[in-house]
Amino acid sequence: MSDATMREFESLEGLGEAAAEGLHHLLWALADTKLLLGYHYGEWTFGTPALEAAVASCSLSQSELGHARLLHALLKKHWGEDPEALVEQRAPAAFANIAFLDAPIAGWPALVAMNAVVDLAATRVLAALEGSTFKPLRMSIGKMLDEERHHAHHGRGWFRTVGRQGGDDAERLRTAAGQALAAVAVWLGPGDDPGGRALLNAGIVSQSALDLLAALAGDVRHLADEAGVAVPSPTPAAFNGWDPRTRRTTSSRGPAEDIVFHLRGGANALFKLGE
Amino acid sequence: MNGLPVYEVFARAKHDEPLKHVGSVNAADDDLAKAYAWTLYDEESWVEMCVVRREAVIPITPHGRLPVWGN
Repeated sequence: MSDATMREFESLEGLGEAAAEGLHHLLWALADTKLLLGYHYGEWTFGTPALEAAVASCSLSQSELGHARLLHALLKKHWGEDPEALVEQRAPAAFANIAFLDAPIAGWPALVAMNAVVDLAATRVLAALEGSTFKPLRMSIGKMLDEERHHAHHGRGWFRTVGRQGGDDAERLRTAAGQALAAVAVWLGPGDDPGGRALLNAGIVSQSALDLLAALAGDVRHLADEAGVAVPSPTPAAFNGWDPRTRRTTSSRGPAEDIVFHLRGGANALFKLGE
Repeated sequence: MNGLPVYEVFARAKHDEPLKHVGSVNAADDDLAKAYAWTLYDEESWVEMCVVRREAVIPITPHGRLPVWGN
């Protein structure tokens, strides 16, 4: 736990309304981000520049979907959420994923930016939950962080490879990484979000949104220096109409309909076992 | 992937087993070699896995008799 004197929570009982709600929203955001990461890595099982990268993308997809399932189980147990309804019945605008994942990933440099920036942002949040006072979540974090190490290796290796090659792809990587950082800044939320503050005060998370963004920007800057790519630092995000449930501003509409269609198993309901 | 370094992959499935050679990967750097090795050779729940650049291996048998394993 982040502080030895802090109370540990086995359930939502005693957690307080603001922290319970903040945690609910954070788990939605992580689960949706991992669901979309899983989708895009899965799409990029084909079209990679190396066969090894195809196998890696497929594997990264599997682990992201596994993490989404794990987070859905927590949402079911503690908030009574129906995991199927979370995917099947929500409008795209209700998805709380990092907005970089809303559209198809247009090329390998963008996939590398997704891996090295967006995936890492979710991992940084997981790391801030490693000593959480909310025990059911804390028990799940170690497994996810273990698997995320391989995601980080893949992202860093390809970022350096594409960056050092130079040319158009390095420029595409620079642009995509800047867009990814900007999207993460919005997703992490404003410093004065009451839900975020409640999570910090209750010891659910160990870092504020602003600290997480600064740490991630530091990771990206270090990697960009190694790769010789000048990724712009994130400018202060505009939080007009920011909704803590979706972690989006009013200008953001959620994942493309096509992507949400493919995420859903509803089209194949006929084949679902036991129904 | 001509021109990329070759990394030999070693792993053990149990703590009391010796490390064994499980294959090799071509990768641009150590990070990618780790990611590729972990995702390619996932037939077991390894308790330990490591990669070694083939060029770092010092041959004892006569030169040119290194195993090839797909590379």
